Amino acid sequence: MDKRILQAVEACVKCGICRGVCPVFREEKQEPFVARGHIALFAELIKGNIDFREETSKDYLYKCLLCTTCVEACPNDAPTDMIVEFARYHVIKHHSLPLYKRVMARVMKSRTLMDLAHRTSGLLSGLLFERIENAPREATRVRFTAADSDKMEVLPPVKSGRSFIQKYKTGSLERATVAIFPGCLINYTYTDVGDAFVKILKRLGISFMVPQDQPCCGAPIFASGNLKDAEQLAKRNIELVEKLNVEKVVVLEPTCASFMIHEYERLFMYLEQPEWEKRARKAAEKIIDPVKYLFHFTQIKSKLNQTRLKTTYHDACHLKRTQKVYMEPRELIRAASNFTEMKGADVCCGNGGTFSVDYPELSKKIASRKVKNIVKTDADHLIVGCSACMMQLTAALHREGFDGIKTMHTLELLAMALEV
Amino acid sequence: MSAKAALSRLKRLLGSRCLTDKLSRVQYSYDATQLQYEPDVVVLPESTKEVSEVLKIASKYRIPVVPRGWGSGFTGGCLNVRGGIALSLERMDAIVSFDQENMLVRVQAGIANYRLQEFLRPFGLMFPPDPSSWKFSSIGGNIAENAGGPRAVKYGVTKNWVKALQIVLADGTVMEIGSANVKDVAGYDLVDLIVGSEGTLAVVTEALLRLHPLPECVKTIQVIFNDIQKAAETVFTIMKNRIIPTALEFVDRAAINATREALQLDLPTDADAMLIIDIDGSKAQVEEETKKLVKLIKGSDGVVDFKVAKDSSEAEELWLARRSISPTLKRIADGKINEDIVVPLSKIATMIKKTQEISRRYRLPIINFGHAGDGNIHVNIMYHKDNNDEKRRAIQAMDDVFKSVLQLGGSITGEHGVGITKKDYIEMQVGTPAMELMRRIKKAFDPDNILNPGKMGL
Repeated sequence: MDKRILQAVEACVKCGICRGVCPVFREEKQEPFVARGHIALFAELIKGNIDFREETSKDYLYKCLLCTTCVEACPNDAPTDMIVEFARYHVIKHHSLPLYKRVMARVMKSRTLMDLAHRTSGLLSGLLFERIENAPREATRVRFTAADSDKMEVLPPVKSGRSFIQKYKTGSLERATVAIFPGCLINYTYTDVGDAFVKILKRLGISFMVPQDQPCCGAPIFASGNLKDAEQLAKRNIELVEKLNVEKVVVLEPTCASFMIHEYERLFMYLEQPEWEKRARKAAEKIIDPVKYLFHFTQIKSKLNQTRLKTTYHDACHLKRTQKVYMEPRELIRAASNFTEMKGADVCCGNGGTFSVDYPELSKKIASRKVKNIVKTDADHLIVGCSACMMQLTAALHREGFDGIKTMHTLELLAMALEV
Repeated sequence: MSAKAALSRLKRLLGSRCLTDKLSRVQYSYDATQLQYEPDVVVLPESTKEVSEVLKIASKYRIPVVPRGWGSGFTGGCLNVRGGIALSLERMDAIVSFDQENMLVRVQAGIANYRLQEFLRPFGLMFPPDPSSWKFSSIGGNIAENAGGPRAVKYGVTKNWVKALQIVLADGTVMEIGSANVKDVAGYDLVDLIVGSEGTLAVVTEALLRLHPLPECVKTIQVIFNDIQKAAETVFTIMKNRIIPTALEFVDRAAINATREALQLDLPTDADAMLIIDIDGSKAQVEEETKKLVKLIKGSDGVVDFKVAKDSSEAEELWLARRSISPTLKRIADGKINEDIVVPLSKIATMIKKTQEISRRYRLPIINFGHAGDGNIHVNIMYHKDNNDEKRRAIQAMDDVFKSVLQLGGSITGEHGVGITKKDYIEMQVGTPAMELMRRIKKAFDPDNILNPGKMGL
């Protein structure tokens, strides 16, 4: 085991500061669901004093959003996310992964399978899904639910058209200023967000390319502790970034971007592959969030016009905490709209990737606190820089009867403000 | 098997909120001392009634019960040193009632100090006790340890703000002690007895707290000295001149150096000590006191530099050096013995000198910082965890520190409590007759010694 993992465990002095900031603890009110508890559990796990598998974990270690709020608050910078990730890996190294997570990994490893799943759901969309009228954003729900029909989940639109990559794909060696990696959510469902970014680049006269052979970044597989499958995807992505003839690789989804920038390096530390750790670090230098890119490397700010929208902004964990992107979107949103800061803008929305699938009720409770703060600002548009948060908060606003507040991606607002 | 019978009754009472598996027991085995003692069972009550039922079962089968809040204590107060039941009150975190006119609030014990302050702020009120752990310690824990904090210089400690308590005795009896009245001398002051009793006499489930208006204005001043003795003398002079700051914090050379390096702060290299002073009150009051204070500082010996913060963000910067000390100490060594001694104000300079002598004698760095305004100094003896010789010397050095404190008429603990880490010193401080009286009080409350046994030298 890499000594940095042991150092991470020792960094925790058990002060308990994480209890005051953890969004999961706030609802669960139990020590096992906070950073200090996770770290204590992991320490016993590696000492061999305890043993469990995901199914017998009582959700300890798993009921964590990996939002890194605790890391930000920790006076000793204890990287809880690292410990939780590695602990999950440690567990499945000794036991196996639950079946649905194995299937998920299988599909996500293959672009062909993912495209197939997308096409199938697109073809069946009319049959399976219905549009929700007047939702905070284009959304659907499943027509028929078997057991609990009262829990009509709000889902992103199911598009039958081409994916973002299919729409803009280029050869991998094409020369351009930037390469675009949309991330799976934008690739398959929120293609409008990708379109908005393309529109902005065209307007600013920046050349771009979209490598057609880009695989999924592997973040959801990695978060489940399945490092072996994530490793393959990471290596394919690193090799791709290395050979591109571009200045920057813009990764539209913050989760994918922060995963590629920070976690690839960690992944290879966990797997004890120092050569790849170095290559991951090097590749990371090229990767950047779209809003950060536009702010620092283009003239967009001087070209924005004020729209009439009354906005507020939600900080995605994977923008604010992991990528330290919070000043840039605010400055641009202020220039493009009538902006009001909400209370607790950087509190996690509760999505957390598979967290919202594994713990739907808890995920909704966390989102519900966010909705209260959004409503208080009197904004008519909630601006978000992450599709996963957008999906979560669209559903939450709809559920609580605030369809009048529309959700919009930062890139969509910026594209609009360039047009006015 | 009586243990089995007790367990099945607890399970029947609390269902999934009674935890016996190894994974859960690990999670309730530690606090900020980083020591670990696994309880045999963890219970998570959600009402006073449930706490009472748990205690009835525990007293019937004579099982130790250790009440626990947010587990942020520094002396092991919430550790199950003799196994038994970990009674975690973390789920009892409600605000029961709020009386804005009379400035009173009633809360359940498990609420975090921070959540309470957050609730009070919009009403322009505060609960004055502000232990450094205020963001992650419970009101129940604050009461059990009679916690203080930087503001104690002006506002006092927890006991000054607790009006009444709902407590559960070892046999499960629930009772209300104290009252909302400003004046009330009917009988012994049981509230004062329970506050600071570290969970050894009863379990506190609810508390009626007195509140204070938020100050209109706060001013922060930082003063740097080239001689720690002069800084200590200045503290004494300030208080003697009847200036009562809200907080009067002090930081020694080693701590200044550690934070300067860690945070790249602009602090003079010849700084031997630093004082951070907060003054609060009405605008006029604060301005006048600041003027008085600046005049006094200018006339003091050994002042190298001083700054008056212009606004709250500058104040935050000045405070940063003080707040960041604890975590940055790791840069000096990975192990520390941290005790919160107290000496009379006039003895601060002497005490600092003594710790410097002790540091030389045992060849270990000693870092001092803390609440100089009330004589409360955090003495940190630094050692390397993997060096057994250093560890042994550190323990001896702390022994010497405690002896010096007692010689100067001080106390071995100002706010952390006794718990298990200082249980061998309490008798030395209070004397055998007082200790015997405490044991008799303990026996009167808890004849079978099931409530937090093995703590406070009882």
